[in-house]
Amino acid sequence: MAVALGVVLRAGPPGLSAEPQNVRVTTDSAEYCGSLAQRVAALPGGTVEPARSLAADGLRLCDNGHVRTGVAKLRRALRAAQGLETPG
Amino acid sequence: MRHDRVGARALPREVPARHAEALATAPPLGLLRSAGARFALIFAGTFVTAAIAFTAVLWWGTAGALDRQTDAAVRADALALSERWRDGGVSAVVEGIEDRLAADIENHAIYMLQAPDGRRVAGNLNQWPVAADAPGAWAYTTVQREGQPAEARLHDIVLEGGFRLLIGRDIDEKTRLRQLLGEGVAWSFGAAITFAIIGAWLMRGMLASRLRPAFATAASIAGGDLSHRVPLTGRHDEFDLLAATMNTMLDRIDRLMSGVRGVSDAIAHDLRTPIARARAKLEDALATAPDEAALKLAVEQGIADLDAISRVFQALLRIAEAEAGARRRAFAPFDLAPVLADAADIYGAAAEARGQVLDTRIPERLEIVGDRDLLLQAVANLLDNAVKFAPPDGHVLLAATLRPDGGAEVVVEDDGPGLAPADRARAGERFFRADAARTTPGSGLGLSLVQAVAHLHGGSLALGDAKPGRESPGLRVTLGLGPA
Repeated sequence: MAVALGVVLRAGPPGLSAEPQNVRVTTDSAEYCGSLAQRVAALPGGTVEPARSLAADGLRLCDNGHVRTGVAKLRRALRAAQGLETPG
Repeated sequence: MRHDRVGARALPREVPARHAEALATAPPLGLLRSAGARFALIFAGTFVTAAIAFTAVLWWGTAGALDRQTDAAVRADALALSERWRDGGVSAVVEGIEDRLAADIENHAIYMLQAPDGRRVAGNLNQWPVAADAPGAWAYTTVQREGQPAEARLHDIVLEGGFRLLIGRDIDEKTRLRQLLGEGVAWSFGAAITFAIIGAWLMRGMLASRLRPAFATAASIAGGDLSHRVPLTGRHDEFDLLAATMNTMLDRIDRLMSGVRGVSDAIAHDLRTPIARARAKLEDALATAPDEAALKLAVEQGIADLDAISRVFQALLRIAEAEAGARRRAFAPFDLAPVLADAADIYGAAAEARGQVLDTRIPERLEIVGDRDLLLQAVANLLDNAVKFAPPDGHVLLAATLRPDGGAEVVVEDDGPGLAPADRARAGERFFRADAARTTPGSGLGLSLVQAVAHLHGGSLALGDAKPGRESPGLRVTLGLGPA
């Protein structure tokens, strides 16, 4: 019973392996924040609300070290600039 | 008979002794030898199997669904990007990857496009993961996000020109959810096993406690005490049904044992007297007979006495045969009406000789299934009694009817003194003779045989007043015969 309990408690995905080298996600970086901000600015809707504020918030978060939150804001700004999202 | 009684009393003492010997030579009573433990194990096994099946379905429907959802999204994405590759080549796929990354608000998407020379062309991984080194493979691996490890599901496809495209999803949140589900399932499974063990233990205890009274009663009976009975709980369940059946069986055995004891005592008591009388007569004749003729007369009288004793034994044997049902194989369909008519003819003459009248009310046909000889004997016994106890100018009636259920009823009435209610209850006992009948000849076996014959034919013997309220109420004997 203890073995079964341990197996179920582990409950990780099957065949999971750790990378010997450091495989890193590059979109969680300040550089990507800048790249997204440029994409927003390049769009006609990027200078109007709410895209403008969302982009500004995103850049500020990235500058303050909250990169993943900042990237999420910038992505929302991009979507708003493309006319796909209302402010929230 | 004396020897049989000793054997019958010794038997109950032998049974526990044999059991004790068998238990002593058998291996110790293991858990699996207990029926209660086996039932409990079956219950626990079924319960745990059900819990496993339930857990498997729950797991497949939750954690499994999350995995399938991720794989479906990756597969659809791979298909879409492959089409873009066919339509627009490298630039179209690069643009598609960048658009997808830019629109990935959930921040789960992972892409990487690699040139044939191993150069990274597009995507958000800094290098190709080792886990996804086989073209077309699906893999789980760990990637770094802001310095923290995160689980990822990856799919590697090969594009035309030797390009390789890696499509994946960050499944870290789903893995955490999966772990939470796993913990919940594990605790539920542990609880199910605990309940299964408790339930099995309770079931075993319940079975043991319900069977304990039956064991105790059986042990008492085996020890020779036939008075014990299995107590009923009043729940009217299977155990109560078993206990009631056991009690009925024990009552029957008790009655039979009492009957055997009563018959043994009665035989010893009632046959000793005529045997002693015959012996005394023969001894007296041997000592005092004046001549050979007187001695011969005494011997003839002794033979007649012994014949009477022999007839009593024959009657006892017939009763025993009827009670044991041994004569049921002689059952055959026959018409009872002529049998009754014959009996009426025989006893009509005897009644006429005593100045009595024997009336008959017998239907033309009375088809039944039974033992013709025994029924003739039973009716003869009833008529013999009626003629014997009716007054000299009395009246005897023999009547018979066919009942709607297929059985028959034979009634014999006389206008004699009748039987007191207390005596009627004992009239079927062997050698029982009412006080008023002690002066008339007879062995006290007549009605015993009639009752045994009635029971053999699935019927009954009923006694009542022929003319209630009169000074001499007479006796009405009803011999009921069951349907074939």
